[in-house]
Amino acid sequence: MKIVGIVGSNADFSYNHQLLNFIAKQYKQLVEIEVLDIKDVPMFNQSDDQTDSAPIQHLNEKITEADGVIIATPEYNHSIPSALQSVIEWLSFKIHPLDGKPVMIVGASYDVQGSSRSQLHLRQILDAPGVNAVVMPGNEFLLGEVHKAFDEEGDLKDAETAKFLESCIKKFIRFINVVNVLNAPEGMKDLSSAEDLYATGSIDTTIQGIDMMADDWVEQAAEATGAVDGDTYVKLDRGILTVNQLNHFLNSMPAELTYADSNNQFLYYNHHLDAEEMFASRRPEQVGYPLAECHPKQAFSGVSWVIQQLRKGKQDVVKTHVPTHGPDKFVVHNYQAIRDEEGNYLGINEYVQDIKPIIDWYLEQTGQQLTGGDVDAVSGATSKVDTVSGATVKG
Amino acid sequence: MLNLIGIVGTNSDQSTNRQLLQFIQKHFADQANIEICEIKDLPAFNKPKENQAPEEVQALAAKITAADGVIISTPEYNHSIPAILKSVLEWLSYTSQPLVDKPLMITGASYGKLGSSRAQSHLRQILDAPELKARIMPSSEFLVGYSLQAFDEEGNLKDANKVSELEDIFNDFTQFIEITNHLVSKNPTKKAQKFSWEDN
Ligand SMILES: Cc1cc2nc3c(=O)[nH]c(=O)nc-3n(C[C@@H](O)[C@@H](O)[C@H](O)COP(=O)(O)O)c2cc1C
Ligand SMILES: Cc1cc2nc3c(=O)[nH]c(=O)nc-3n(C[C@H](O)[C@H](O)[C@H](O)COP(=O)(O)O)c2cc1C
Repeated sequence: MKIVGIVGSNADFSYNHQLLNFIAKQYKQLVEIEVLDIKDVPMFNQSDDQTDSAPIQHLNEKITEADGVIIATPEYNHSIPSALQSVIEWLSFKIHPLDGKPVMIVGASYDVQGSSRSQLHLRQILDAPGVNAVVMPGNEFLLGEVHKAFDEEGDLKDAETAKFLESCIKKFIRFINVVNVLNAPEGMKDLSSAEDLYATGSIDTTIQGIDMMADDWVEQAAEATGAVDGDTYVKLDRGILTVNQLNHFLNSMPAELTYADSNNQFLYYNHHLDAEEMFASRRPEQVGYPLAECHPKQAFSGVSWVIQQLRKGKQDVVKTHVPTHGPDKFVVHNYQAIRDEEGNYLGINEYVQDIKPIIDWYLEQTGQQLTGGDVDAVSGATSKVDTVSGATVKG
Repeated sequence: MLNLIGIVGTNSDQSTNRQLLQFIQKHFADQANIEICEIKDLPAFNKPKENQAPEEVQALAAKITAADGVIISTPEYNHSIPAILKSVLEWLSYTSQPLVDKPLMITGASYGKLGSSRAQSHLRQILDAPELKARIMPSSEFLVGYSLQAFDEEGNLKDANKVSELEDIFNDFTQFIEITNHLVSKNPTKKAQKFSWEDN
């Protein structure tokens, strides 16, 4: 989990900056926090769109990638500083990285009130439709009389305050998980239309003029493109293999591999087992199908959600445990983004693997044992994606 | 005749709040001289080393000091006021504090039906902070909703009811200025010599 902390002040010396640095340092075992400044962001002006400028794009990327955002706001004239207001205006004008993002508010100020009024304003602002952040309720962390709050190492002097702050951060981590569940496929939104699952578009590599649903799509496509096979050599980065060698190599991988391209067409799987023997069954005639034909309709929202995570770079791999193989297996479906050197999304490598033997081997080698823990904590976060994996087995 | 200034609360080239102030200026020309002040070219607030404002801000502060009363017309951005307007208020609060005890009226226009109500309530709370401490006219709210459709080609407010509402409020404001100036002349707020939040 990764969180960004935004300093709501553009002052050269900022207590709110100090507060975020303290949080990042003190709670780093709990979560990774990157502290971001807003000093370089220009004043918002709707007549002079600078959305593409580096400081705004930097914030945009960092926020988009993050699982959650902590905003530390001072209080200026009973409200938030204009510098922070301006940032939020940019982030709600042409781009909306805070949409659906879990946000926690903290604040430090001179007054004993410690930014209470600015925090209320900030809540209202973050709730406006153009921003649409999901702000954690309650857990108001106010640091009043801030000029007396830190020692020389930048640590909070008062142990009780630090303890309360820790409880707020822990709640925020749980809050992020809750919000992610809300945002995930089984939540309120139906995401089916977010992806072109019928592969009606085409990309440079799409093989044109062949019925994607044809049982012999592979044979037809090979003929149309003059694809090589057998003992013909192909040059790879880095090496040379014959097509046969390449096939045997891929078939020897300790996982079921599937390639679906960025046009959502199923192009390849390492076929060496019969459908019934596979964890996620595939049949030879399915190759070439658009993804919509590989899944039942009720799974479309979930499938689209996974592809969007990868396509938009929100995650590099979405993992889900499929518990239907019995207790002696732990089968994981990994949806791994395939990207080129520039990071452009090319498609999905879905690799399906039973990781139980790996864990057993590790335990055996190291002489360690598993102690029972909070089982819910393990499955809770991922269980929402199960609709997807359940669906991939259908044919 | 009253001398007022009207502050356009945005840096946008096109602004229905600017249109509203222009209409007020024209409509009440026989009762007040209203100078319209722009904030679009003012620099963004950043805590200065000395309590010195940039020249453009000083010029605005001087106009505020000289005026009998101030009208601020605010757009609504994200249920609040635009950053640029907030920035100007930060400059004023941090430096010469010309709004202290100044009679002030708030108006606002927005594209939607609510007509900037949430921005106006934020603005009131901000102007109530001790370093601004304007004397805001109570129990009054002038909202122009659907502001893109609200004006005709001559820049007049189309809705006659709205115009008479504005006339009532403006009339209140002229009396409010009189009462307030009477009140504060007897009992002026002492301005802090220096910005006070950081004095402790
Ligand atoms: C970043 C941004 C946020 C906005 N948020 C709101 C809002 O919360 N409520 C609203 O009525 N209009 C909102 N708008 C539209 C306003 O520009 C418009 O309603 C405004 O009050 C018109 O004032 P003007 O014509 O003087 O610019 C927003 C515009 C921008 C650029
Ligand atoms: C323009 C301005 C207005 C301020 N208004 C308030 C205020 O309303 N309440 C408050 O507690 N502190 C106020 N302060 C003091 C801030 O709390 C103080 O500057 C604090 O250090 C800001 O946080 P930072 O150090 O992270 O920049 C104000 C400061 C400035 C510059």
